[in-house]
Amino acid sequence: MTAGIPELVPAAVRARLRDLRLLARRPSGSPGFGAHPSRSRGAGLEFAQYRAYQQGDDPRQVDWKLHARSDRYYVREAERDSPLEVWLLIDATASMAQGDASRPGWSRLDAARGIAACVIELALRQGDRFGLVTIGGDGAAMVPAAGGARQRNRCLLHLHRLQAAGTWPASDRLRAVGERIGAGSLALVLSDCFDEACVALAGQLSAARREVLTVQILTTEERDFPFRGGYRFTDPETGEELLGDGASARAEFLERFAAARRALAERLAGQGIRHAEYFLDQPLDAPLQRLFGKASGDAGPERT
Amino acid sequence: MSFGLLLPAGLAALFALLLPLVLHLTRRTEQQTAMFAALRWLQVRQRPRQRIRLEEWLLLALRLLLLAALALLLAQPVLHGAPGNQAWVVVAPGIDRADARAALTAPQAEWRWLATGFPTLEHEPPSVPQPLGSLLRELDATLPGDAALTVVVPARIHGLDGERVVLRRKVEWHVLETEASPTPVAPPAPAALAVRHASADDPALRFLRAAGAAWETAAAGSDERRVRVEIAAAPEPLEPDVRWLVWLVPGELPPGIRAWIEAGGTALLGAATESPGPGAGTVTWRNADGEALVTGRALGNGRVLQLTRELAPATLPELLDPEFPDRLRTLFDPPPRPNSAFAVTQVPREGGLELSPTPRPLHPWLALLVATLFMLERWLATSPRRGRPA
Repeated sequence: MTAGIPELVPAAVRARLRDLRLLARRPSGSPGFGAHPSRSRGAGLEFAQYRAYQQGDDPRQVDWKLHARSDRYYVREAERDSPLEVWLLIDATASMAQGDASRPGWSRLDAARGIAACVIELALRQGDRFGLVTIGGDGAAMVPAAGGARQRNRCLLHLHRLQAAGTWPASDRLRAVGERIGAGSLALVLSDCFDEACVALAGQLSAARREVLTVQILTTEERDFPFRGGYRFTDPETGEELLGDGASARAEFLERFAAARRALAERLAGQGIRHAEYFLDQPLDAPLQRLFGKASGDAGPERT
Repeated sequence: MSFGLLLPAGLAALFALLLPLVLHLTRRTEQQTAMFAALRWLQVRQRPRQRIRLEEWLLLALRLLLLAALALLLAQPVLHGAPGNQAWVVVAPGIDRADARAALTAPQAEWRWLATGFPTLEHEPPSVPQPLGSLLRELDATLPGDAALTVVVPARIHGLDGERVVLRRKVEWHVLETEASPTPVAPPAPAALAVRHASADDPALRFLRAAGAAWETAAAGSDERRVRVEIAAAPEPLEPDVRWLVWLVPGELPPGIRAWIEAGGTALLGAATESPGPGAGTVTWRNADGEALVTGRALGNGRVLQLTRELAPATLPELLDPEFPDRLRTLFDPPPRPNSAFAVTQVPREGGLELSPTPRPLHPWLALLVATLFMLERWLATSPRRGRPA
């Protein structure tokens, strides 16, 4: 990596990434050879099915022993492993600039960068193709999906230049996003999920046969609400201000916010979206462990 | 023992106590801003309350204490009625330490020299003559009222003054017979009186010359100081042994003569000479009618005597008196005041004013307290334990 750019993934996290694999639930549809089960059939080690001989099939693929038993021509087909296409959707609206007072200089966007870098490392190791979509006040910026170390550098450079500003753009400016993310690819949304439009976009992608995963990045202040005394709370996106006493508002906020998070998780689960929460004081690989790790239970796809 | 303030108005500085309090409270009430994206789940029922909350109360207390101590320092606290009635024994210089200790049995007493500053007996006895009467009065005023005082004096004491010593306590007056060792009085060094005139036919010169001749005659048969009179015109420089000067030149005093007076000389200026500097001074010679003839005052280290009328028989008939040489001599060379007496005759009398004892000032201790508090405050305010700077 270039000397001027700081490392996004700490060494300890990089070490823990070794046990992780990016896995999609559905078979991949991408052409080419890779490490993921796919719908395409061909020559290979793993037996998939017998199929009646069609004209043009290679005679070497005909199972002659079966022909001897059944006097019919069958072609033996094997499963072919395909590469996965991984898309990282990063929310870069102004709310992502929020951090914790206890750890200044570490915002949601920094965490999103770190998680994205982890996923890029994983995808590169598995030989998968990956792309980047960042959605901020200026609309969507994209790094088209490709594979290889140069693609990784392109993506990391893009991540470094990323600034959190503005509000979520109108849906017609995001139409290109849905078109570029191909069916069967895996889309990881890194956002605080406070924008309804963001959650809606994830739902649309999921409905259109994209495997969508969301990581909701939350600050510890939203989890613990440590404010005591008078505070002026400012919404970074709307500029709305609220003057309030921290201690008295705490219990009600925690209750309402927990309910909102529960509702979000249920809604995403209903849409078939795997969802994880990440708090800013957790290690960067924690949401990936939850989504792709051994403990996640439903990670392994059923092989047919 | 009671506590008092010499300057109670200094306590007005206690109003400064409001300063850290107000600063502390205003710093608390100011709003902190927080970026909070999850604002829509936040419901504020309660406006921020203006609660009086004291954080860093230890630091605040320390600062208040520091200011209070400073205000007290301004008010100049004193302690009346100093504790202890320690008996004092003062020994006049001229008595051997061992002799004094042998003559008296006062084991608990505080032994001091009767000298300026009252040094302890371990110090060397003072060498310069001491004003004994004045020292006794000072000691009486500073000692607590019920402290016993013993004074050890030689048979003959010096350094008394015109006032008989009257003390408010009964003093044990202990006269030690020491072998008389009268300090040998050296014969006074001969002096010279210079006369500077504007014209040689000044009528005063005749009388001055006559006075000089009279002194000469008087000094011939005794051990009195010999005085040489030298008369010359004004530009003539003064010889180094000249200590007295009669200046009969009208007009302003030349700077050279003025410098000579300021260096320690005594000058009698004629009536026509301008007096250097302001002020008339005190009358040193009056005639029989009580009119001032000569006024004197200090100039630098020296003395200026100013004639109020011309030095001529018509204006100053006293010139013709036979006492004139002695009067003139007294102007320049006043006779020493009697200050010695036999100790037995000078037992201090009891009575006098009931002086309130000198209160003990508490400045040094309070200053020390202030310094300590300040250092504590700085230490507390800058300790790394505090997250925010003060």
